[in-house]
Amino acid sequence: MKKIGVLRFLGTNCDRDIWQAIEMVHGQPEWLWYQDQFDPNDYAGFVVPGGFSYGDYLRSGALAARTPVMKSLQEAAAKGKPILGICNGFQILCEAHLLPGALVQNEGRRFVDKWLDVQVSTENKYFGGADKSFHLPIAHQDGRFVADNVDDLKSKGQVWVTYQHNPNGSFDDIAGVQNESGNVAGLMPHPERAMAEWMGGSDGLSFFEGMVS
Amino acid sequence: MTLEAKLGHYRISKAEFEKIKVVLGREPEGLEWALFSALWSEHCSYKSSKIHLKKLYNQSDRVLESFGENAGVIDLGEGERVAFKMESHNHPSFIEPYQGAATGVGGILRDIFTMGARPIALANYLCFGQVKAPRMDYLVNGVVKGIGGYGNCVGVPTITGQTNFDPSYDENILVNALAVGLFRPGENIFTSVAKGPGNLVVYVGAKTGRDGVHGASMASESFDDDSESKKPTVQIGDPFFEKCLIESCLEVMKEDLVVAIQDMGAAGLTSSSFEMASKGGVGLRLDLDKVPVRDSEITAEEIMLSESQERMLLICEPSRLKRIEEVFAKWGLDAVCVGEVLEDRVVKITHEGETLVEIDPDLLTESAPQYDRPYKDWSSPRKSETLPAIDVRLEQAALGPLATVHGNSREFIYQQYDQRVGAQTIKDCQFPVGVVRLPDSDRRLGLVLGCRPHLMRMDAYLGGQDSVIYPTLQLAAYGFKALALTDCLNFGNPEKPELMTELVAALGGMNQFCERFDVPIISGNVSLYNETKDRNVTSTPSTGLVGLRDIEAPIPAAQFQAANRKVLLLQQTQVHTTGAWCDLGLARSAFTGSLDADGLFGLQEALIEANEQQLISSSRVVGRFGLAYNLARMCLGGMGMSSVASSFPSEFWVSERLYEVIVEVDPSQVQALQSLCQSKQVTALEIGMTGGDQLNLESSSIKIDQLLNSYQAGVGESFGLA
Repeated sequence: MKKIGVLRFLGTNCDRDIWQAIEMVHGQPEWLWYQDQFDPNDYAGFVVPGGFSYGDYLRSGALAARTPVMKSLQEAAAKGKPILGICNGFQILCEAHLLPGALVQNEGRRFVDKWLDVQVSTENKYFGGADKSFHLPIAHQDGRFVADNVDDLKSKGQVWVTYQHNPNGSFDDIAGVQNESGNVAGLMPHPERAMAEWMGGSDGLSFFEGMVS
Repeated sequence: MTLEAKLGHYRISKAEFEKIKVVLGREPEGLEWALFSALWSEHCSYKSSKIHLKKLYNQSDRVLESFGENAGVIDLGEGERVAFKMESHNHPSFIEPYQGAATGVGGILRDIFTMGARPIALANYLCFGQVKAPRMDYLVNGVVKGIGGYGNCVGVPTITGQTNFDPSYDENILVNALAVGLFRPGENIFTSVAKGPGNLVVYVGAKTGRDGVHGASMASESFDDDSESKKPTVQIGDPFFEKCLIESCLEVMKEDLVVAIQDMGAAGLTSSSFEMASKGGVGLRLDLDKVPVRDSEITAEEIMLSESQERMLLICEPSRLKRIEEVFAKWGLDAVCVGEVLEDRVVKITHEGETLVEIDPDLLTESAPQYDRPYKDWSSPRKSETLPAIDVRLEQAALGPLATVHGNSREFIYQQYDQRVGAQTIKDCQFPVGVVRLPDSDRRLGLVLGCRPHLMRMDAYLGGQDSVIYPTLQLAAYGFKALALTDCLNFGNPEKPELMTELVAALGGMNQFCERFDVPIISGNVSLYNETKDRNVTSTPSTGLVGLRDIEAPIPAAQFQAANRKVLLLQQTQVHTTGAWCDLGLARSAFTGSLDADGLFGLQEALIEANEQQLISSSRVVGRFGLAYNLARMCLGGMGMSSVASSFPSEFWVSERLYEVIVEVDPSQVQALQSLCQSKQVTALEIGMTGGDQLNLESSSIKIDQLLNSYQAGVGESFGLA
């Protein structure tokens, strides 16, 4: 079984959900504590889960991005290991400059929890498979993606997924982005909450299957 | 300070002062004043309600813990158990809605994980005033944001809720929060019984500040014009701290390092230390110099009364302290030894080298006053022989309530709550019952709230019965057997006999049904003095019920699913009411008949068996505004229906009858359902057929688009939420 590292910060709250999702696709999850460093070669991939790391103090993801475990994650990214950040995990990857842009407060200035549809804009080789659209839930207060250079991101194929109906005022309806080589990707919707029909849909499966296959 | 001034400051009545003198054999001194003020308050002592609460049914075999502990616990079988409890945070939420509601969520979560259970679901029961009442948009927005701000951050999904609006809450809103926690197989239940002289008393969590001092006694008073000045009695919450506290507490409990544990809720360190000692029949020594404080100027009295959030008190064997400190440090929290367990039944508090108090804890807990406040037998003043007319046409009966604050979508509220964190949510706040999956047994746990204030305004006894039976039937409609109940008794001033009469009547009604349906009442709280300037809120005994569904098949929908299916009405009609139409001024508040528990038990059985046999594809208990409105709700998914050709009297579509359930059935299953119903003495009346994009009732027809527009518009805009 492929070993997947799951990062845990103080305030991470989707960690056990990610653990469950990785087990559902027959991967082997392992915790990576924020104070510890690790050898990237020991893992097939990494997930930075959602939540409210450090209570969103300062800015969402800002404090988590400056913890010891992130030094190892930077190394893993440079080695081309697949890394997926979800919701607060996406915010952390942006704050760590592993992904471009930033996530700021929703335009409506309220937390939004709902199911919605997203489409793949540029395919990612690890996450999301070849499907062109997904039905996934969102749950965030700071999900509005902003960047100085959205056209640039588009031309480099870094705009990964977009909302069909923009829930938060994200530039160009962007719901997820990837780095230039595609091994680091982040998205606001929660695929780990869409792994089976009893959850309300199973479109999230392909976001984890790629890492363990 | 004169005696009068002192009594006023500590909110102690003259009569209770006399009782304190008897209990102590002298006048109270120094810190004792503050201790009696807190622990003898209505909020901590339940002095007006205790004699009635003792009568409540909680003897079922599945009850593992009930009143007396931080939360009740029931056995679900297969090694799984759940702890759950509901608590009010009405007074603080009216003063400062965001923090009041947020700390209500924080407090109820601590009651759950104190027991060793991981919180898996939240729910909230809210009553607001009229949309146009002063400050109401601020209160609604603040409360909803506060609940979301706390629950979302700690990572516990909010899976169901109920929101009511009525002028009686204009100046005293109700904010009741419920939490459920799960013990997985092999996990231990922890209690707050202090044990073992020589064991250490350990303070964990956030530092103690001056917030919330006198909170418990404030919550035991009526409001006046001066509620703004009470802001300093409201606590400030930090959900990030709470999240770390949850994880660290569960970790030390998993390693079995803890003898006893209790959260510092109302009256903070005072109630936790005295209650733990009293329950264990032991004493405690507390050294206040060791208590971590935010402000070096804080006094001993403030340390004892502070309601700073996110703090716990635990008892451990001396050899375990080091490991406990390590675990809390890992989560960035302090764990500090502040005292020890004493063999003698005495709580000894020292500060700056001085002994401030040495007192038997039972004097403050067990000896607290209990009152049998005057009340009368319930006389049902609105019960009548015939039902008064309801002044509404059929089309308006279906459509009208959808556009009002009483029948509108609550999406604008629940969209601000994370309903899926934990990745076990099966049905979210959109559904009449919140449902999560039990991960070890793959069974379904249902959660639903009860108490319909419009029925409480009609009749306190009937409303009390309904607070149990309506949610029980809602669970049954989706295949869940109700297992246990928690409640929040939100009432007005108990010193007024007419209010006490309502309290006793409502509890009597609830208890009767809890016993017949074997739904033990395992936890809850009492919130009295919900009155402002002599005006009492509607007596509101809110309830929360958990149920279990042991059936693998999908849960029936709450909206019509497919065309050409039969629509049946399962009836055990015992009471006819004018219902919520009274709130719209379209009828006089009245009802006929009375409820019969045995008949309703049959309806519950019929519904659960219909689920087991997979006979129904959608269902809904007919609630507020009667049949036409509830059929409209079932059409909101886009599938319409038409009533059968036979003509019913107009009252049939509009009056609220207790109880009826709409079900959608494949024609091939109608006979099986009818014979099942017959065996349970339930009438199964065919009322229509699904199909089309309209709701056609007799000669009226409404497009579903029009229903949806009404349902979704309005409320959000009224509160600046849209």
